[in-house]
Amino acid sequence: MSPAPREAMIALVDCQSFYASCERVFDPSLENRPIVVLSNNDGCVVAMSQEAKTLGIPMGIPWFKLEPIAAAQGIVARSSNYELYGSISARVMEVIGRHAAWQEVYSIDESFISLRGTVEELIQAGRRIRQDVARCTGVPVRVGIAPTKTLAKVALIGVKRSRPLSQVGVCHFGAYSPTQRDTILASIPVMDLWGVAGRLGRRLANLNIHTAADLAAQDPGQMRRRFSVVVERTVRELRGTPCIPLKEEPRQYKDQLIYSRSFSEPVTTTPAMRQVLSIYAQQLASRLRNAGQEARVLTAWASTSPFATDQEPHSPQISAVLPVPTAEPVTIARGSLGLAELIRPGTRYVRAGVVLTDLRPAGQAETLPGLGPPGEGRNLGPTLDAVTARFGVGSIGLGYGGLGEPPSWQMRRAMLSPRATTHWEELVTAHL
Amino acid sequence: MAGFPSPSQDYTTAEIDLTEHLMPNRASTYLVRARGHSMTGAGIWDGDELVVDRSIRPQHGHVVIAVLDGELTVKRLSIGTDGRVVLSSENPAYPDIAVPSLSDLRVWGVVTVALHHVSRAS
Repeated sequence: MSPAPREAMIALVDCQSFYASCERVFDPSLENRPIVVLSNNDGCVVAMSQEAKTLGIPMGIPWFKLEPIAAAQGIVARSSNYELYGSISARVMEVIGRHAAWQEVYSIDESFISLRGTVEELIQAGRRIRQDVARCTGVPVRVGIAPTKTLAKVALIGVKRSRPLSQVGVCHFGAYSPTQRDTILASIPVMDLWGVAGRLGRRLANLNIHTAADLAAQDPGQMRRRFSVVVERTVRELRGTPCIPLKEEPRQYKDQLIYSRSFSEPVTTTPAMRQVLSIYAQQLASRLRNAGQEARVLTAWASTSPFATDQEPHSPQISAVLPVPTAEPVTIARGSLGLAELIRPGTRYVRAGVVLTDLRPAGQAETLPGLGPPGEGRNLGPTLDAVTARFGVGSIGLGYGGLGEPPSWQMRRAMLSPRATTHWEELVTAHL
Repeated sequence: MAGFPSPSQDYTTAEIDLTEHLMPNRASTYLVRARGHSMTGAGIWDGDELVVDRSIRPQHGHVVIAVLDGELTVKRLSIGTDGRVVLSSENPAYPDIAVPSLSDLRVWGVVTVALHHVSRAS
């Protein structure tokens, strides 16, 4: 459990209240103020600054419930500014990556890196990363360091929960004695660990496994037989044996891709629903291609509001098996358009989605000549992406989705901050 | 001679890249829009786009963006030999701003370039 000092350690670097921190980068007046960031269509709170958490605002609360008291409490609300968050995330990840030979970007606001050095050296390295990222990007980060990914997460939980550690912003699990480590693990609910969610957590609780320490004390082989290899690995990682290697490649292929949104105003006609589906299909095709994947099975659905009392609820759904696995937008759009024929004109639909499953790496399936998707070989997807990258989202689209004018059902983002890194006309003002 | 390409093939020349020239540190560079007239002496005009490199450590003489009352404010940073810190305007019609001490000063970034458009396509 106590590795030689020069052995590779894993650092998990995570951004503090990432969305709220991004909002502060270009608007310093938001410092020390409670910020809530709202979901699509300004529906509910999906992210908060520490100040908002301290006020006790529950995550997920609908904005219409919070709004009446927001002003009195000094709460600032922002629509999700995905353009800004994505751009700042890329910068943060690049700066973090400069500090290590190996980096795995785990999510929009988390990255693993590999470091070598003594405990003291690595705590210093963690401080340098914090300073560097804050200076270069304006985003505060925290660093948890340990021999394994799972323990790095444990160290990071320490940074979040312990007041002295949160001041430093860096925690090295190796700085503690074996007894102290046991105390730390005993203080962490097993549900806070990666991959231990709802059902698995309840099954573990039935076996009297409540904390990370309880789990670490289990026999790995038995955990594998009872649960899965994932749980076995978590046990071994909690004991200090690295089992989950750093991945420099994008994370393992996801087994499904979903694109679903609420509309800012209800969709009531077949043509409008076709337009929705065309745009969703184009988005999904683009994501698939970026992930180097193809899909074979498609499901599309739409639904009315569960709160509407003056109409029959209706949730049509279709599934389609595509002729061949593909990431080609025309085929995906065609597969999903059948849904538009199922809606009842006049009924108000508030949400729709397209789900792709049976995903696989691109280029595995052999296609007989003439049997490929209609757009295949004509580079349609990459061309759409290139035009979108150059002229902006909505500048080109497939059939029903190809409109310059944004459709009326699109996302409402009434409290959107400037998209200051992606749109010239939205640059933030500096006063002279 | 299959298999052995000419070494000279590596000497490809790239076109001049304005982005590389103006923002060598892309990850730490933000662009902002200048509004106001207090820095005309430094060649910064109302409406200019400013290139701000946050990786540069602010020093005496740099044009910086300071955070004043929650706003981004562009001034020249002057640090006297006596340690006095002043954010100077570069237009006689505008006052300088004295900062009590260096620790009270929050520099958001160092302005490296002002992009001033001289003709616009109609």
